[in-house]
Amino acid sequence: MIESSLASLGATIVVASSSDENHPPENITDGNTNTFWMSTGMFPQEFIIRFSEPTDISAVTVDSYNVKHLKIEKNTSQSASQFESVTEKEFQQTDGHLQSNAISLNGSGATHLRLIITSGYDHFASVHRVSVQNEHS
Amino acid sequence: MVKLRAKCLLVGDAAVGKSALSHMFHSDGTLFQKNYSMTTGVDLMMKCVQIPETSDSVELYIVDSAGKQTLVEACEKMWGEVSLLCLVFDLSSEQSFANCSHWMERVRAHCRGTRLPGVLVGNKTDLSTRREVQASVAQEWAESQGLEYHETSAKEKENCDAPILALATAFHSLYQEHRETIQNLSPG
Repeated sequence: MIESSLASLGATIVVASSSDENHPPENITDGNTNTFWMSTGMFPQEFIIRFSEPTDISAVTVDSYNVKHLKIEKNTSQSASQFESVTEKEFQQTDGHLQSNAISLNGSGATHLRLIITSGYDHFASVHRVSVQNEHS
Repeated sequence: MVKLRAKCLLVGDAAVGKSALSHMFHSDGTLFQKNYSMTTGVDLMMKCVQIPETSDSVELYIVDSAGKQTLVEACEKMWGEVSLLCLVFDLSSEQSFANCSHWMERVRAHCRGTRLPGVLVGNKTDLSTRREVQASVAQEWAESQGLEYHETSAKEKENCDAPILALATAFHSLYQEHRETIQNLSPG
């Protein structure tokens, strides 16, 4: 099993519900926790990751700040629609450092992952990195 | 460039002019509702405000919540997560000003510790001969509550854009502050 940054897997963000040109959603996939995508007010907030080919994902790790509750959905189609629910998790609040949460996805195959931040610990939340553990094929 | 989104809660006693102000905000000061129709639930209004000297803007989702005491509890269930507060009283009613502290308590309890920037608005400056609340008193109380004070007349279309601009600017500053905090975080 290997852990990979999303960019190295050829994954891209195709939808993001907030946009600050200084903190674009590409900052989620670049593998660098110093860069981030930030929500710009109100919840829920979401983004959708597209993989270049169907990928078996055993877990995702999310580095974030002020995220309270996260839902993960996936699909196996070519378009970013018709998602099925996979799992959800309540994150612990952190002070002065990032939240880092590993979430098991039971090796399910997916072409898109949809991450929905349903609530936050403050007005704004940020996501610094999402990396996936995938079965080596 | 960034477009921010904020939910602004509009509260205060019944008949102080919350809905009239909300219509003024929404119509850029062209529409004053002449007939009084009490808001019995929660009305939603969207207004996009450009932040001066930037290319940034704030979309304000204004939640106009009924002021009538017997309706407040039911309305509070629809407030949801609030980002900003616009608390309104009637300058010709001492009672509506006194009740502002009750409104403040209710809103604070609802927000459970999240910082809430906001404005206090003394409405109906047009009723100058019937004024019961002095600007200096209202100003002082607003400051003690961390609110910015503005006086308006929805009827005479006076100064109605000031509170809305103050709200948007406050939210914009809050965003910048959070951005800086996040930039200085250490890895988990």
